[in-house]
Amino acid sequence: MKTMGKKYRDPQRLHPVVNIIVTVLLGILAIACIFPFIYVVIISLTSEQSIVKNGFQLIPEAWSSDAYQYLWSMRGQLFRSYGVSIFVTVVGTAISVLMITFYAYAISRPQFQYRRFFTMLAFFTMLFSGGLVPMYIVVTQFLELKDTVWALILPLTMNAFYIIIMRTFFMKSVSESILESARIDGASEWRIFFQIIFPLSLPGIATIALFSTLGYWNDWFQALLYINDPNLVPLQSLLMKIEANLEFMRENMDVANMQQSLFSTIPQESAKMAMVVIATLPIAVSYPFFQKYFISGLTIGGVKE
Amino acid sequence: MKKKLGFLLALFVVIGFILTACGDEESTADNGSDGETYEIKWYTVGTPQPDTEKVFEEVNDYIKDKINATVKMTQIDWGDWDQKSQVMINSGEPFDIIFTNGTNYIQNAQKGAFVAIDDMLDEEGKELKEEINPTLLEGIKVDGKIYGVPSNKEAARQTVYSFNKRLVDKYDFDLSKVKRLEDLEPMLKVIKENEPNITPMATFNAYLPYDYIFNNEMPFAIPFEGNTDEVINHFESDLTMETYKTMHQYFNAGYLKQDAATSKDSWPMDVENWFVRMGDTQPYADLVWSRAAKYEIVSVPAEQPVTINDSVSGAIQAISTTSDNPEKAMEFLNLLNTDPYLRNLVDKGIEDVHYTKNEDDVIEDLPARIERYNVPTYSLGNHFILYLYENDPKDKWEKFQEFNDSAMEAPTLGFHFNSDPIRTELAAITNISNEFYPALATGSVDPEEYLPKFNKKLKEAGLDKVIQEIQSQFDEWKATE
Repeated sequence: MKTMGKKYRDPQRLHPVVNIIVTVLLGILAIACIFPFIYVVIISLTSEQSIVKNGFQLIPEAWSSDAYQYLWSMRGQLFRSYGVSIFVTVVGTAISVLMITFYAYAISRPQFQYRRFFTMLAFFTMLFSGGLVPMYIVVTQFLELKDTVWALILPLTMNAFYIIIMRTFFMKSVSESILESARIDGASEWRIFFQIIFPLSLPGIATIALFSTLGYWNDWFQALLYINDPNLVPLQSLLMKIEANLEFMRENMDVANMQQSLFSTIPQESAKMAMVVIATLPIAVSYPFFQKYFISGLTIGGVKE
Repeated sequence: MKKKLGFLLALFVVIGFILTACGDEESTADNGSDGETYEIKWYTVGTPQPDTEKVFEEVNDYIKDKINATVKMTQIDWGDWDQKSQVMINSGEPFDIIFTNGTNYIQNAQKGAFVAIDDMLDEEGKELKEEINPTLLEGIKVDGKIYGVPSNKEAARQTVYSFNKRLVDKYDFDLSKVKRLEDLEPMLKVIKENEPNITPMATFNAYLPYDYIFNNEMPFAIPFEGNTDEVINHFESDLTMETYKTMHQYFNAGYLKQDAATSKDSWPMDVENWFVRMGDTQPYADLVWSRAAKYEIVSVPAEQPVTINDSVSGAIQAISTTSDNPEKAMEFLNLLNTDPYLRNLVDKGIEDVHYTKNEDDVIEDLPARIERYNVPTYSLGNHFILYLYENDPKDKWEKFQEFNDSAMEAPTLGFHFNSDPIRTELAAITNISNEFYPALATGSVDPEEYLPKFNKKLKEAGLDKVIQEIQSQFDEWKATE
């Protein structure tokens, strides 16, 4: 067999040439994905003078850890923001996953009489939304959440798109007969949900959990709208603020030059990049833990039967 | 049927709950106007400071006896300001005083977001009215009414050419000869040849002596001198062509960076890599700039001081129509702008904590002022009652007064164009301007070729219709003046 290997290749394997091309292509793609981040790390370690003089360089003229020392000097705010971000992400994801799965499970069961109405209700919000101002009024004036940590969590808990995904997932992957047998054995609805549905749907749940985690971690807009108290500013919002302040300075040079002392505390390019590194790290580190589920979860949309 | 009824019932309960909840809120908000101490909610621009609470405890102790009110000041960071303040105003959030400026002020005043304070200026704000430069109050009128308290500071704009003094001295340039853009040429040449590390011109847009209806990018203006009744497209004038030609010549000679038209480089002053730049001045600006840059800067005016809409509406504290007690808010603004103790407390912090003061009322910052209570002076109120720093000239505020008095009033001062009738044309024109203006004003392209192209496109986009509309509104406004 071996001597004939050339002619009768294993049909499961790629032709060596194709293999090389695909490997190179995927390699380029992988580098394109990871390169910006490596570049950011390099810039964060470049000395400020070198940036002013030569712009961003792959191999900078002078290295420096000034940017990280600067971040260390503002560690009070940084740790605080880290804490807020972590709290919001963990609690937010937990609440969000629970609410979405509850809702999706209910409208996925044929026994539930109003499931059409509630499906439409969720679906409706995907097509029409109230807009920014009504949202703001509800959050600040009805719920009075302004300057509380809940303003960062609650507006993002429900997401119609995830509800529809989960509903489809429950309908396709959890067969009615399993639930029926559980019911015959005398399990309550809660028990069915947490001990049967939940483990069976883990891939789907992990997928929306990952989406939520990313959503909460990267969100800065809620903080922009609802948070004035510096103690409640999450990490991404802190980063956005610095960027927005730099932009403001550029556009209002006259104010900036007259009130120099006000803006002297705004960090420079390298410090900005160092903050990006610090803000991205936790998400990059936690990703592999989700990946396993993520891959199986992605087939949700595909037809299974 | 039974189930459906139950569902409806539940729905009503929920709706009812929400309604009562907001009803409650309204009834509690009504209290506090009489007898009780009223809390004034004040939103202003700037990075939130750690010591704000501490300073405002002092402020409240002081003003409680005077006007029976307390103030809660909330700062919103520079970059967040525009979006956040707009959402707050649009949502009708209840608050009392808010910082505003420029076109935001005019639009919100026209929308009815701010209280017209003309009547209050004769009652609660009597002292304030006497204190503030009448040009400012006159200039910020929208449809004949005043909608806020302007910061009493420089009321005029004067654009200047600023020079790096070290290089001026080194090559012995005579700055008194500089009047126009063309006069810079010999100096730029010397710098270009002898100073390889210096960019002769920090990127700026060529100055043109027009009073703009919107801003310098949009093709609607009235000349400061000559026929000041007619709105024109200033990109069609010979002067513009000449100026842009000069700028193009400078660009070709390499006096400007090659990416001038697109670069976002802000040319921070503390980096000494430029020879000449443009900016707006105020009395003793060179001192402030030199202090910030840590090397000397010297300026030459490019125009006479002129009072324009932008220069009078640079910083305004307006009272919101959602305020439960506008009179109290006015009383506070009155006190803030006339009482030196309060004004300095809000601006500089607490004496001996944030600054020290000697017998002559001359102050010096302590580290805590920079680190823990660093607020933007220009936005908060009257400048003329602020303490002076040791390195401030003694006659600083007199010079401000002179500067304001010497200023010429622009033809459109107090005229605010309502762009609703020609919104579509204006959007198209904005796009065309964005495309051509940066390249032309920095000299990046040849004006002989591109300026006619620019004007042709503007014509096609409905320039004449817009000019006509502006002209008719302008005439109407002039007739009522």
